[in-house]
Amino acid sequence: MPKILKEPLIHFLGGALLVFGFFWATGTNRDPADYTISVDQSNIDRLRAGWIQNFRRPPTQQELDALIDQEITEEIYYREALRLGLDRNDAVIRRRMFTKMRFLNNQDAAANEPTDAELQQWMDQNQGKYSLSASYDLEQVYLGQGGAASETEIVKLLQDLNSGAVEASDISKPISLPKNLIGADTANIARQFGEQFSIDLDQLETGQWVGPVSSGFGQHLIKITSKTPGKPAALDDVRQAVTNDWRAAQTAQQEETALEQYRSQYDVRVAGRE
Amino acid sequence: MRKALLIAACSAALAISGCKYVGDDPNGSGSSLENTEFPEQVFWGDTHLHTDNSVDAFGFGNRLNAEQALRFARGEEVTATKGAKAKLSRPLDFLVIADHSDAMGATKAIKDAPRIALLGNEFLLRWHDMLNESDEGALQVTAELIDGAAKGTLPEELTDPADQAERTKDLWEAHGETVDEYNDPGKFTAFMGYEFTPMPGGDNLHRVVMFRDGAEKTTQVLPYSSQGFAGNPEKLWEHMAAYEKDTGGQMLAMPHNSNVSNGRMFEMQKYDGSPIDKAYAETRAKYEPVVEVTQIKGDSEAHPFLSPNDEFAGFGDAGWDHCNLSCTGDTKPEDYAGSYAREALKRGLELMQTVGANPFKFGMIGSTDSHTSLATADEDNFFGKHSQNELNREDRAMQPQNLGTREGRFGWHYLSSGYAAAWATSNSREAIFDAFQRREVYATTGPRMTVRFFGGFEFAEGDTADLVKAGYAKGVPMGGDLSGGNGEAPKFLISAMMDPESAGLDRVQVVKGWVDASGKSQEKVYNVSWSNADDRNIGADGKLTPVPNTVDLAKGTWDKDSGAPELVTFWQDPEFDAAQHAFYYVRVLEIPTPTWPVYDAIKFGITLADDVIRIQQERAYSSPIWYTPKA
Repeated sequence: MPKILKEPLIHFLGGALLVFGFFWATGTNRDPADYTISVDQSNIDRLRAGWIQNFRRPPTQQELDALIDQEITEEIYYREALRLGLDRNDAVIRRRMFTKMRFLNNQDAAANEPTDAELQQWMDQNQGKYSLSASYDLEQVYLGQGGAASETEIVKLLQDLNSGAVEASDISKPISLPKNLIGADTANIARQFGEQFSIDLDQLETGQWVGPVSSGFGQHLIKITSKTPGKPAALDDVRQAVTNDWRAAQTAQQEETALEQYRSQYDVRVAGRE
Repeated sequence: MRKALLIAACSAALAISGCKYVGDDPNGSGSSLENTEFPEQVFWGDTHLHTDNSVDAFGFGNRLNAEQALRFARGEEVTATKGAKAKLSRPLDFLVIADHSDAMGATKAIKDAPRIALLGNEFLLRWHDMLNESDEGALQVTAELIDGAAKGTLPEELTDPADQAERTKDLWEAHGETVDEYNDPGKFTAFMGYEFTPMPGGDNLHRVVMFRDGAEKTTQVLPYSSQGFAGNPEKLWEHMAAYEKDTGGQMLAMPHNSNVSNGRMFEMQKYDGSPIDKAYAETRAKYEPVVEVTQIKGDSEAHPFLSPNDEFAGFGDAGWDHCNLSCTGDTKPEDYAGSYAREALKRGLELMQTVGANPFKFGMIGSTDSHTSLATADEDNFFGKHSQNELNREDRAMQPQNLGTREGRFGWHYLSSGYAAAWATSNSREAIFDAFQRREVYATTGPRMTVRFFGGFEFAEGDTADLVKAGYAKGVPMGGDLSGGNGEAPKFLISAMMDPESAGLDRVQVVKGWVDASGKSQEKVYNVSWSNADDRNIGADGKLTPVPNTVDLAKGTWDKDSGAPELVTFWQDPEFDAAQHAFYYVRVLEIPTPTWPVYDAIKFGITLADDVIRIQQERAYSSPIWYTPKA
């Protein structure tokens, strides 16, 4: 076989010749496929489902027939309009096509469930964002509002607490706050005692009674019995947040990449722009 | 061929996105969420937030969508429409995005629509041009929209149910997907919801609708529009019943802004003017277990006209109590009774006696009704009612808010209020929705006070030592019912703890309503616990010595050690009659603090007009506990 017959271009030209030959021979430039409208079962099911969604009941046969006829009428007008080129220079259609195209580009990112490996990689790249805050085991004594206990009284109380001369439960003023916190993270503590209090804990010595530490309620003495420093979160701790962020980032990136790919094929010139 | 491929790919993609829920755990991660035995923690949320899908929010310029609203609510920083960085001081635990069902997404659609598509429609074309032209133009469109909705003169394109269904369907499904993605049981609960927005003649009959379910069920219906029925709420309840029957899901509705309803929200007749009957009362109580009593557009708990002996009844009434929502109808004195929640609770007791059921048996919450996608209710971090008066608009407090014909309303009339507190057994859709359903919820005007309220016949004074345990073991929590008791007066355990990021407490009050022997409802406010009890007494006039005002207006501060960190008390009704229907709810007042315009004045160096309210006492309203005489 001559080498030229293996050239794809020749196949293409040959095919084109056949098509032209057909239209020449039949005396029309009409592609019969363009004039076939088939409403198959899946189309009918879609129409029926749409009706049920709107009216909360299935359509009667008569209503269904009317829906199908409407669908056919629309399709005919749609195709005739395309033949007349009515889709050109129409900003609605242009915008709709733009939206569809962008939707297609984003769909990969949006539809796929990310694998754990992908999420883990995303977390590694955004480490600061997903750290678990420090958590504490601590005891607290509530002294009352600021000024309720003098400085000398506080020094004495701390000594007595640390020497075991008094029990925390005996000197704490009544308030509906937990006297013991076990494994409480910073957010949880901030929620109950206020944000500044949770921040101030970080500076405290552990293992003995210290203070006073201020909260919105007043003053507290604190004994941190155990502190687990903050650390990067494990995926399972923050899965939902990571998935949301990953998806948002994928969508944005995919869109950018897709546009970049298309754009590189275009020679764009703007008057007045170098 | 290429075209065919594209279409095939498009349909496939659509199919995938449409089928996303199949086989999915509708609750999200499938993590093992544990419910506590009784509600140990109070969860904070906003049930009434508008995003760019709301026809007016978009018109006001809001360009933040549902995803950004959810991110903000769960504590992340976002950039507000007008460019200011926005972050909550503390995250919220739950959020209901409640965009208007009427014309959902419509302004966005009109603005984005190509001009050519609107050429045949002068009305919409004008709006399109105004929306694209400038902020002022967009505001004017929004004003016309609200006005048109009030007068029933909106163009058919915006009100036709079929058109609307078409437009809403895609939007609602996409919204469901976003909300499901952000629902994170145990950490942050994202609810599906919308706002049903009828306002016949400008009288506000709005309800926020909230679903217990995820998108799998909620997208089987569309947000119910008020246009077809001119806003008869009975039609909404029918729709809710049909949804529950068809899907096995659950919905509830929360009336709000009764303060601008000119007496229609809690009127003593049905929407069509016929008398209230037992079936109506039962249906209403079933589908509307909670009312939103405080929000940006004023406070609806009480009014001085109705409660002349309550010196705190006027909170958040200024600017809102002289005309209805659109200010197309003046408020007459006889309208007040149907506009405020306390009076409605009283009317409910009267109806209980006359028709045998109470249509106004509701709990109370606060929410923002913010149209900025930002659920803010802190005075020093208030992002305003809509995007034209966000935090960085210097003169917003003094700007007239003459939307439509809202004469005499100014920026400063807006309250930086409120939030909803729910005593739930976990932070999940099911647990929080169920807390709303049993009315174990309360309202605050922004600060996150912790309020417990239990009623029963078995309590003793010493029970305050372990109030929660005794409360659940021997009584009912807020929202509950009491009956029986052998004629003895009911007893109550009450605790209120300040918000550690806000101010100390002035006092705790019990508001009692009852029906007297003549069948007429009465009310009385009791001061039951207060700060500085040594220096403050109840005088001969029954009034408690006011708490000192420590506000420094130049700095926006107050004495952090003034007021009580916590008030705990046991209280028994001293004027009880076992034969009379009654309700009791708790009102907690903070010490005086500055209002948001004060922070604006400090920040921007502007001068406020003399009539601007600069100092207020923020507050919490518990849901009531009802007493019913033995049959």
